Amino acid sequence: MSVTPMKAGASILAGGPAKLIERCGEAVGGADKILQAAKAGVRIKIQEAGGIDEAQHAAHGLAWLATTVEGLRQMHDWAARLEGEGRFGEFEQLLLIAAFGEYAAQVASGIPMSQLEITRPDALGVPKADLRRYEDSVADLVAEGGSETVKARLGELIAVQPDAMTFGDTGLDETHAQIQDLMRRFCLDEVYPHAHEWHLKNEYIPLDVIAKLAELGVFGLSLPEEFGGMGLGKESMCVASEELSRGYIGVGSLGTRAEIAGELILHNGTPEQKAKFLPKIASGELLPTAVFTEPNTGSDLASLKTRAVKDGDVYKITGQKTWITHPVRADVMTVLTRTNPNEPGYKGLSMFLAEKPRGTDAEPFPAKGMTGGEIEVLGYRGMKEFDISFDNFEVPADSLLGGVEGQGFKQLMITFEGARIQTAARAVGVAQCAMDLGLKYALDRVQFGKPIYSFPRVRNKVVMMAVETMVARQLTYFSARQKDAGRRCDLEAGMAKLLGARVAWANADNALQIHGGNGFALEYPISRVLCDSRILNIFEGAAEIQAQVIARRLLEGAN
Amino acid sequence: MKVLVPVKRVVDFNVKIRVKPDNSGVDLANVKMAINPFDEISVEAAVRLKEAGQATEVVAVSIGPAKAEETLRSALAMGADRAILIETDDTVEPLAVAKILKCVADTEKPGLIIVGKQAIDDDSNQTGQMLAALLGWAQATFASKIELGDQKAAVTREVDGGLQTIEVKLPAVVTTDLRLNEPRYASLPNIMKAKKKPIEKRIAADLGVATAPRLKVLKTEEPATRKAGIKVTSVGELIEKLRSEAGVL
Repeated sequence: MSVTPMKAGASILAGGPAKLIERCGEAVGGADKILQAAKAGVRIKIQEAGGIDEAQHAAHGLAWLATTVEGLRQMHDWAARLEGEGRFGEFEQLLLIAAFGEYAAQVASGIPMSQLEITRPDALGVPKADLRRYEDSVADLVAEGGSETVKARLGELIAVQPDAMTFGDTGLDETHAQIQDLMRRFCLDEVYPHAHEWHLKNEYIPLDVIAKLAELGVFGLSLPEEFGGMGLGKESMCVASEELSRGYIGVGSLGTRAEIAGELILHNGTPEQKAKFLPKIASGELLPTAVFTEPNTGSDLASLKTRAVKDGDVYKITGQKTWITHPVRADVMTVLTRTNPNEPGYKGLSMFLAEKPRGTDAEPFPAKGMTGGEIEVLGYRGMKEFDISFDNFEVPADSLLGGVEGQGFKQLMITFEGARIQTAARAVGVAQCAMDLGLKYALDRVQFGKPIYSFPRVRNKVVMMAVETMVARQLTYFSARQKDAGRRCDLEAGMAKLLGARVAWANADNALQIHGGNGFALEYPISRVLCDSRILNIFEGAAEIQAQVIARRLLEGAN
Repeated sequence: MKVLVPVKRVVDFNVKIRVKPDNSGVDLANVKMAINPFDEISVEAAVRLKEAGQATEVVAVSIGPAKAEETLRSALAMGADRAILIETDDTVEPLAVAKILKCVADTEKPGLIIVGKQAIDDDSNQTGQMLAALLGWAQATFASKIELGDQKAAVTREVDGGLQTIEVKLPAVVTTDLRLNEPRYASLPNIMKAKKKPIEKRIAADLGVATAPRLKVLKTEEPATRKAGIKVTSVGELIEKLRSEAGVL
């Protein structure tokens, strides 16, 4: 692949990095105005329709518009920070202008909520005149950012480093870059070479890999030092989750279990519960699992039915749970139950820290009052999914989280920001993995006498993967930094998850397309990554409920 | 016994390097850098000696730009106790490196210096040998095994014909080969601990060693791309082509 410097014309890029960043800043301002107009428009639509559910398309469209604008803002801020540190090179400049070329155009012309649902600003009540003014104001960025020149040059820069750790500077500081480096090396040695076999055989991620992750410190990453953790922030957790998920989503997700259980106990547990569980979760000695979902209770937790009844010094749990990840090998379950049947909504819910013995494939649940069956799944394997039935499953009374009944929902909500951020990071990792695979295949596969990467439609797929992955990544890092700074970030975390999941699926789908028929063969890892990426739009808040939550927050006056 | 481990900041071995358009050298702008893999092996060897109770302290030293601090942090995260950065923005050739390391050794007085046999950027393979000569110490190069005894070390060397085990008196300079060990991952807790370990900084010029290069690089070029091969139909044709075209028979 030859590398020729980009020809300077009458372009924004030719004006230098400072000018480029300034133009992008102006474009963010313009996009913000469209967002404000859309907010006003959607408010009216909801009022006219008689509620948010009656105007869902408009409301969710608003969520996607806000997500797109926030993505642009974070790309601009990323560029400005890099420029300040002397790290804003050609690669980064091209990524920035390409991101603005695409997303600034989408703000006016339509944003894909899914392949079938494009949200357009006029449907959100944005006045035509405002749209035309905005389109004129970003026309130069859209033209140059979307140009073949920019994509071709990005394509060249990407192709010279197919094994790169990152495609463009991600802006991490030295410590975070070291964490990233460590996780990447670990995955290349211990995870990536085996992931496809684990997937195809529906095998568990081997315990010795889990032990090595524990040794590296993955499970105690964000727990405080007094409980055996490292007291690192969500940004570190993001970086680790991203790289581990790039190796294999299952490995990146092992940390989620520790993260959710760790946060639940840290923020809500009694001193005894913290002392008992946290150090062992941090060391990886205790593997936790989250037991929340029920056959008829997914996003609507208020309808949860599993009962816990106090009987002397124990609670007896009875009910059906489903979509429980990694329960067989887990040592402790965080079980959400209803302790007060007279409180039908959130208030009657309580959380338990229920210990259980580890099971095996032959005897998955060697505990009295607990049975279960595996749910076979397309992807996201390595930990196995189960339906679980509790029938008077006994837990000691002191395993009630926080020691007070009726707190379950509130306790769980505290963990949601962290879980969203971590899921967004997993999405970015899977998206990157898909891009890695698509790029390598496109460079290796020769047709008509040249690598198929030479064909613009193949190359530009990879280029757009690099661009969108960087947008999703910067939005994710931003949420994490907000959380680390002690600021509310449910909105941004939700946006990061929403966008990350779409990008991961788009990358996987397009990387498979690059593989042609070979991508359809189980033998090729991209077939797995396609299946793995599909879960990201579903779990931890499906794309639709995610958009709904974001829309509600936007309309209640945040931002 | 103190062990001194020099580490060099080089282009990460995963990076496909590019030659600058004017052929003046390798383009290092925005290229990922890392600890020289042979030096990583040296650090691992030193840390293992410490863990086995045979060494008391592991000191990492790097000669290079301010950014080489990152390389020292990697060594500290693997288990080195403290580090010394000798700052210079010059290209420092092996003899100057050896002279600077001698200055460091004169102050630090280590019982053993473990050096990577070469750095993967210029592949000189000279520093360890020169350092031993300057110090007047024994040297054991290309080590695949190090066993410490009383005031001596048995070192197994990888030589052309196989393995050779030699005994050297301490203090000594040992240069490491690929198969000496597999370096560990620096765990997250150790990465964090490394941030608190001390790095002493000195300016190369203050050591009184002339670092100006003695060699002049005329031109840096990428290797010629391999020409496509052909299929031969018979052994006869193969021999004929080896004789007439390849000129190897």
